[in-house]
Amino acid sequence: MRRQIQLNTHISAKYNQELENLKHSVLTMGGVLEQQLVNTLVALKENAPSLAERVALNDSRIDSMESQVEQECMRIIAKRNPTAGDLRLVMTVSKTATDLERIGDEIARVAKLVTKDRIPASDIVLSGMMDIGNRNVAMMRATFDAFARQDDKAAVIAHKLDTQIDKVYKKIIEQTAAEIQSNPQDIAIWMDVLWAIRSFERIGDRCKNICEYVIYLTYGRDLHSSSMKKTVKKLLK
Amino acid sequence: MFKLFEREALSVEEFSKEQTSVDVRHLCVSLNAKKVLNDISIRIPKNKITALIGQSGCGKTTLLNSFNRMNEFISTHEISGEVWIDNRNIYDKRERVSRLRSQIGMVFQRPNPFPMSIYDNVSFGLRIQGEKRRRFLDDSVEKALRNAALWDEVRDRLFESALTLSGGQQQRLMIARALALEPKVLLLDEPTSALDPLTTLYIEELMVALKQQCTLIIVTHNMQQAARVSDYAAFIHKGELIEYSDSDSLFTMPNKQQTEDYITGRYG
Repeated sequence: MRRQIQLNTHISAKYNQELENLKHSVLTMGGVLEQQLVNTLVALKENAPSLAERVALNDSRIDSMESQVEQECMRIIAKRNPTAGDLRLVMTVSKTATDLERIGDEIARVAKLVTKDRIPASDIVLSGMMDIGNRNVAMMRATFDAFARQDDKAAVIAHKLDTQIDKVYKKIIEQTAAEIQSNPQDIAIWMDVLWAIRSFERIGDRCKNICEYVIYLTYGRDLHSSSMKKTVKKLLK
Repeated sequence: MFKLFEREALSVEEFSKEQTSVDVRHLCVSLNAKKVLNDISIRIPKNKITALIGQSGCGKTTLLNSFNRMNEFISTHEISGEVWIDNRNIYDKRERVSRLRSQIGMVFQRPNPFPMSIYDNVSFGLRIQGEKRRRFLDDSVEKALRNAALWDEVRDRLFESALTLSGGQQQRLMIARALALEPKVLLLDEPTSALDPLTTLYIEELMVALKQQCTLIIVTHNMQQAARVSDYAAFIHKGELIEYSDSDSLFTMPNKQQTEDYITGRYG
């Protein structure tokens, strides 16, 4: 059964505010991450190590935000004993914060490619990385939007975006393998490039996880459970 | 670890006749010309703890009192429907109320020990039933006090006044008094609302242990207590049964918006 969680209808106004702040904190983290990714892509495209350095340094801010969100989740569980939709929201926020922190790590890994002057010399690989990176930005936006509105349909659509990211990832890996074969002497650089490409792919997976949490938040069930299959079909019609 | 993955509560629709302790069918209760319960049908499983939750005045206690015909103490009462306990409709005209009440124990919000010794309090019900054998009474008192987790604390002062016990001990004494008659069903009406948090936890542990011996039905306003101790929970609102399911489902993903609003504190 679909259930939209109303955050402003508790008898306790303070509790309303606490849950609203918790949800807002995830969206704030998401906003920072989106900017981090955009900056990384600019740094990659324009070979701007100072911008990439800033991205790498900013990752500790994301770590600290995750830790604060976790602490707040623990505090609310201990003091408010949330149940039903409220409990699902707290659990969703906690798990989402973990995935967001990991997305931050993946972005920092790509940024370090620029700071370490390991941008791939191949235009085809670089443009592939820009392509997958831009797809990541689009997927992140769609995911956070679905989270903010608790929109199950938007979450299922955003979830599907990862299929395209995986296809692009596969293609870039093939292209990179071909480049490695023709320039085996640069294998150390190519290894870093491969890890960075892998990071882009993982960002898609993490966004996919968050979309699944939004579905869990709304329906109380796992997206992959047999009972959800019909619902997902209906949502995609 | 396996238990975590294998855990599955029986759905409330799946209780067989043997698994059902109390079977309420279309119960309507009016007290002082006011309808308090409206067409309640619920099957309460054997050897489980079932919690009745809902706002004050919603009819929880009236439903609980229907299981031992306590509502009949109110002069202007009207009861229709059936309550089956162990294949007997307790509202059948041939049913003896005293026999019924000896099988359905009840513990109230505030402990109400009689002004007599601990021993006499526990053996009171048996004596009323005509039991005089000293040895039998001794054994029954010890067994009931042990089951109520009170024996070790009072074994040396069984003949002191029950009024000298602390609040938590008195409440356990009330449970022992009910258990002495070896009831099939134990009704608990907010049994811990007057107790401190630690004593509350002791009573809750005791309730879980007592499941082996009888069916427990508890009325509580404490949502966390209902979630902690009950296997099944029923949400009642304005005399209607809104939702009844296993407690894990009810407290994590209730089916009805009204239930969700109540358990998450959204009722005005």
